[in-house]
Amino acid sequence: MKYLVLGASAAGINCAKTIRSLDKEGEITVVSKDDKVYSRCMLHHVVSGSRTIENLNFVSEDFFEKLDIHWMKGKNAKKLHIEDKKVVLDDESILSYDKLLIATGASSFIPPIKNLREGNQVVGFRDAEDVEMILQEYSHVKDIVVLGGGLVGIDVVSGLMAKKVNISLVEFADRILPLQLDKRSATTYEDLFKDNGVHIHTGVKAEEVLLDESNNVKGLKISSGEVIPCEMIIVATGVRPNLSFISENTVNIDKGIVVDEYCATNIADVFAAGDVCGTHPIWPLAVKQGITAGHNMVGKEKKLEDHFGFRNSLNFMDLQTVSIGIIEPVDDTYEEHIEEDGIEYKKIIVKDGIIQGAILQGDISYCGVITTLIKNKVDISKVNKNVFDINYADFFSVAEDGSYEYVV
Amino acid sequence: MKRIKIKQDLCMACMNCTIACMAEHNEQGKGIFDLDLTDLKNESRNHISLDSQKKPAPIFCRHCDEPECVFTCMSGAMTKDSETGIVSYNEDKCSSCFMCVMSCPYGVLKTDELRNSVVIKCDVCDGREIPRCVENCPTGCLYVEEVGVCL
Ligand SMILES: Cc1cc2nc3c(=O)[nH]c(=O)nc-3n(C[C@H](O)[C@H](O)[C@H](O)COP(=O)(O)OP(=O)(O)OC[C@H]3O[C@@H](n4cnc5c(N)ncnc54)[C@H](O)[C@@H]3O)c2cc1C
Ligand code: SF4
Ligand code: SF4
Repeated sequence: MKYLVLGASAAGINCAKTIRSLDKEGEITVVSKDDKVYSRCMLHHVVSGSRTIENLNFVSEDFFEKLDIHWMKGKNAKKLHIEDKKVVLDDESILSYDKLLIATGASSFIPPIKNLREGNQVVGFRDAEDVEMILQEYSHVKDIVVLGGGLVGIDVVSGLMAKKVNISLVEFADRILPLQLDKRSATTYEDLFKDNGVHIHTGVKAEEVLLDESNNVKGLKISSGEVIPCEMIIVATGVRPNLSFISENTVNIDKGIVVDEYCATNIADVFAAGDVCGTHPIWPLAVKQGITAGHNMVGKEKKLEDHFGFRNSLNFMDLQTVSIGIIEPVDDTYEEHIEEDGIEYKKIIVKDGIIQGAILQGDISYCGVITTLIKNKVDISKVNKNVFDINYADFFSVAEDGSYEYVV
Repeated sequence: MKRIKIKQDLCMACMNCTIACMAEHNEQGKGIFDLDLTDLKNESRNHISLDSQKKPAPIFCRHCDEPECVFTCMSGAMTKDSETGIVSYNEDKCSSCFMCVMSCPYGVLKTDELRNSVVIKCDVCDGREIPRCVENCPTGCLYVEEVGVCL
């Protein structure tokens, strides 16, 4: 059996590893544009200088040799031919497959703001090359604008804080991290960042990049009318799946590649996993989809049991927060429970005995239980306790093999 | 793989396992006289939780067959050994993102009290013949058994 995996990140690596654990003989090839394996979630640690790209390798040094996987690094898939089951690479080499995984992830999307795409010092934040460019340029730079106050944007800000630069953050919503945090928990971070000299502009749109004759960035005009002087703009306004090698009317595409619960596409023997599917671009789902696809590619049926993408943990300025499920009550049939103690903040939203969402800021100990209750819609109405005191003891049960189970 | 098994009904919340875990992982020495309970550095990797009837439940890492903490770990710090089945944590690789804390379904994991930068995680006493918690459990609530499942 010939397996071909496009992409060597969360989804691709976990798929290849799974295939090898189930098929000792099969021929596995991994192709990736990246010439290194690294965790993109940690790129901001390279910006801050606390790690190198090499330090972001999330598998062992000898991963490919040990598992007898042929890795073609620094190569791009250029064209997928589904009829004859072949992939053409940018160096014109042709790879055939019996089973294919597309796990090419996503790339930064640079929005159509006036002059943004033209500016020399405009960079996304997704790949090792982006970080290299930032580190090369930043020594000539005094002021940097980070566009987008979502998770990636805030990662960038926290990475830059170790550097001697002036940082301005521009976010369209009324607060930073609008998908993860409510006003109270976002404000806590905003204040911490402001105390450390970061200029935060919320509720404003970027309107135009000011460039000099040679397209060097000079400033950013925002919708309040203000011009923020800057010599570099880091764009963190979202991503688009990497699909350019797929011809129209072949693999089904919606927001990304459409897959079923086996991570199979509409085309026989073609599977997809991770951010390229465009659903919930988070690391754990990419890993699980990769593992699920790996099983099904080998012919061992496995369904993806976990689609839950509304969860994130944040750790900025030594303050931890987790955000799970919804962040605000939808209407007054939802009960909102709040506990506050100084900087610490906890909010749990319940409807009809089921926890729908939680924000925990400051103290996140043992909080995986809440994630599970939300994800699996576990009924807590029989638990006679303050909702903040609920823990696994309330659902405790040990199976035959010693693993834990949830019993309501 | 070997797993620390639990008979909940035998737990009397004496917390010997918790103290044993703290002592075993104490940098100052493994004896009880070395253990300063007020030093935040000494934390237990297991804990006892109470349900609404105040019935104790020992919360111990299961070294799961499908470990959520490993699936969510973005740095490669959490790994499951395919031979021993042990899920181990490598502090040096960890990026302190705490996705694992958020994802362990049984609430086993927490961040460290002192620096809030590493994860407190069971290492099955790093190769010790019998884990210290099991050795110190006076009721037989905790015991080690081969469970024969592996990735
Ligand atoms: C700064 C930052 C912080 C993040 N923080 C978090 C976080 O805290 N929590 C979280 O859950 N998620 C986080 N994410 C998201 C997470 O990184 C992604 O969900 C995850 O990387 C998706 O993995 P993937 O394997 O699908 O794709 P990617 O990681 O995008 O990898 C795609 C792979 O495909 C290769 N490739 C691309 N195009 C081609 C081609 N044409 N041919 C061959 N190979 C190709 C690439 O080289 C790469 O190897 C963060 C992302 C960023 C950028
Ligand atoms: S920390 Fe939690 S998820 Fe990880 S192995 Fe232990 S019990 Fe399982
Ligand atoms: S806190 Fe460390 S061990 Fe836990 S998921 Fe993040 S990187 Fe992995």
